[in-house]
Amino acid sequence: MKALAWLRTSSGRALVPLAVVILIGCLFHQNGAFFEWSTHRALLREISVLGILACGMTLVIVTGGIDLSVGSVMAVAAVLVSLMTMPLGWGGLSATALVLMAGTALGLASGALIARFRVQPFIVTLAMMVFARGLAKLLSGGKKVTNYVTLPDGSSSTVDLPALFRAIDSKVLGDHVSVVTLIFAGCALVTWVVLARLTAGRYLYAVGGSYEAARLSGVPVGRTVLLSYALSGAFAAIAGICQAAQETHGDPETGAGYELDAIAMVVLGGTSLSGGRGGVGLTLVGALTLGMLQKILSLNAFSTEARLMLTGGILVFAVLFQRPWQSRA
Amino acid sequence: MLLELAHVSKAFGPTRALSDVSFGVRAGEVHVVAGGNGAGKSTLIKILSGAITDYRGELRIGGGTVRFHEPQAAVRAGVATLHQELSLLPALSVLDNLLLGERRRLISAWRGSARIGECQALLQRVGLSIDPMRRVETLGLSERQLVEIARALGHAARVLVLDEPTSSLAEPEAERLFDRIAELRSQGKGVVFISHRLDEIFRVADRITVLRDGQVVFSGPASELDEGSLVEKMAGRALDEADVPRPRERARVTLAVSKLGVRPGLADLSFELGEGEILGVAGLQDSGASDLLRALCGAAPHRGDVTLAGHPFSAASPRAALARGVCFLARDRSESVFPARPITENVTLSSLGRLFPSGVLALGRERALTASATEPMALVAPSLAAPAGALSGGNQQKVALARCLLAEPKLLLLDDPTRGIDVAATADVHRLVREATARGTSVLLASSDFDELLTLCDRILVLFRGEQRAVLGREEFDRAHLLALAMGAEAA
Repeated sequence: MKALAWLRTSSGRALVPLAVVILIGCLFHQNGAFFEWSTHRALLREISVLGILACGMTLVIVTGGIDLSVGSVMAVAAVLVSLMTMPLGWGGLSATALVLMAGTALGLASGALIARFRVQPFIVTLAMMVFARGLAKLLSGGKKVTNYVTLPDGSSSTVDLPALFRAIDSKVLGDHVSVVTLIFAGCALVTWVVLARLTAGRYLYAVGGSYEAARLSGVPVGRTVLLSYALSGAFAAIAGICQAAQETHGDPETGAGYELDAIAMVVLGGTSLSGGRGGVGLTLVGALTLGMLQKILSLNAFSTEARLMLTGGILVFAVLFQRPWQSRA
Repeated sequence: MLLELAHVSKAFGPTRALSDVSFGVRAGEVHVVAGGNGAGKSTLIKILSGAITDYRGELRIGGGTVRFHEPQAAVRAGVATLHQELSLLPALSVLDNLLLGERRRLISAWRGSARIGECQALLQRVGLSIDPMRRVETLGLSERQLVEIARALGHAARVLVLDEPTSSLAEPEAERLFDRIAELRSQGKGVVFISHRLDEIFRVADRITVLRDGQVVFSGPASELDEGSLVEKMAGRALDEADVPRPRERARVTLAVSKLGVRPGLADLSFELGEGEILGVAGLQDSGASDLLRALCGAAPHRGDVTLAGHPFSAASPRAALARGVCFLARDRSESVFPARPITENVTLSSLGRLFPSGVLALGRERALTASATEPMALVAPSLAAPAGALSGGNQQKVALARCLLAEPKLLLLDDPTRGIDVAATADVHRLVREATARGTSVLLASSDFDELLTLCDRILVLFRGEQRAVLGREEFDRAHLLALAMGAEAA
């Protein structure tokens, strides 16, 4: 049993479902398709937007909170960045900066309500989810913001896709890696630095472990909560920019339900929803597990319905497996 | 024998929590189970209450072997356990709580009010005369305890297992509880009384079983032991509190409090605390000692004049207080320890801003600091990377204290720092507090254990229902006098 001791650690337990999924992939490889790098490149590209959301979600869940608004905030960002770069013709950098600020501001608004008035995060971010969806529709006029724009003289024409979009939706390193995957990796790195290398990370864990104990220990609890939701909003904005670039338009309906996928990734990694433990490494494993599972199911031509049902079932199995095997006295 | 354990063993992985434990509880006897932290008391309680089912050995009740497969089974067999965290539902009435544990169908009429008389009779058996319709959250802790005993009696309990029932009670309330226990004994009930407080062990025990490292080291009549020999058996070694020489009271005043008001009924407090001095706060359950400490650390609003090291001090939050060198150790470990986080993170949490002003952690330095901060603590831990929750209560308390001490406070506010921890850990905490005062830290120490105050403090402030009754100097220290003041006697 000693050789299996690593299974008792949280990271060890998180790796088991991933290993099982990889094993299944090797068994049902569809004439070697599972062993092609292009398959995995596509897989990584597909999980990137959700993974970015999951990074922010990890920060929030570590504090014992939850952020249901990320899908809607992402839509606001997608619409905003499309509006600014295509009809308004802004440069990519200034548009990105403004969208990031908008996402952060929405996160700050949720965080302020939670920190200042101690309203339950579920309720506050549920409200923000509805509000931000409305905001995305208002900004876009209810339809997709595309590169088919109305010029000042009243005529319409198609403009070039902005350089920002083309850059994000491309591959680098000899076409081996998608840019969105690199952005995802960057977000994960930022999250890791915050959680593992900054005092702010200690405060996030402390607040999640016990709000009252953290407060009495002199932790700036209010600012810590604010920080987690602000970062979650900023990550949602980044995800929105990536989504708009991949879809080549700003869709006010985009990202609906993404918050649940992001939560699933975090939980699948083994980060506890009750807060105070977990980390972004676990979330990465969770994201990979979920993404690879989807890939295998689609490689093997499962229907969408069957894929959803199987994913749900496997999620439950994986989370049951995550629980400590033996309760301590 | 009402209840008998025969060769009971239980291991958690490689850790043997109980090995070959045998003893019996007779009708009409109070059987004290004594032992330090980690002796196996909690495991024993869990077996008796049906929370642990996979142990080896036998549990016999009235001669027949039983094995509880769930807590309800223990209750049905007549074994009622009162845990330290009471299991009453605070938002429900006393009446509903008394009726709740009954076996009934899931869907049946709740005719609680029809049974008020029955419940009143039950409450009277434990000496409580309260309205059964009152919600439990409006009751004091000792009253809740009695309600829980009443519930156990209502379920026809023959054996009551009391897990450190006095740990959160002040002296007169504890006395009341002992009276009830004596009555239960005379009614022929068996009482298993888990404790590590010497005075009360000899106060209540007919027989004593001493556990150490999961084994029975003594089981027999209380008359065969005295305090010294009991401590020796519990600890495995004779203990004496290291008497660290303490500096005399110094002239410099660290904290001056004048006309401090915290809440209605806790007002007009005035006292001074010198550098390196330990001022005790003595009081019974509703004295307001905790509230006083919480106000000073900024966790509760207050008014009045407070000066810290000569400057006005009024902290709006514990964080602001910490920035001024005031550190608070809460009474409840759930408010002072982060069980899921490593020991290192627990210890440095209150000092992060000072140690790493840039906000970037230096993990190696942090580890070294934690190692040197915990070095004098005699901490029993697998490693400093282990989660604090894996430690015993006494060691968790040391970790929390290490966090406060690492912050190098000018003023340390300790709220019952040795509550529920064993003799050896208590001695360690006392030593650490004394060492801190030698470095100039002033300590305000609230404690429910008057002996602790009398041994540790330079002066003692006595509160009675939020009113400052006296500030005693060492020459006036006298146990009976202190107790009398805390119980409301006017100061001479």
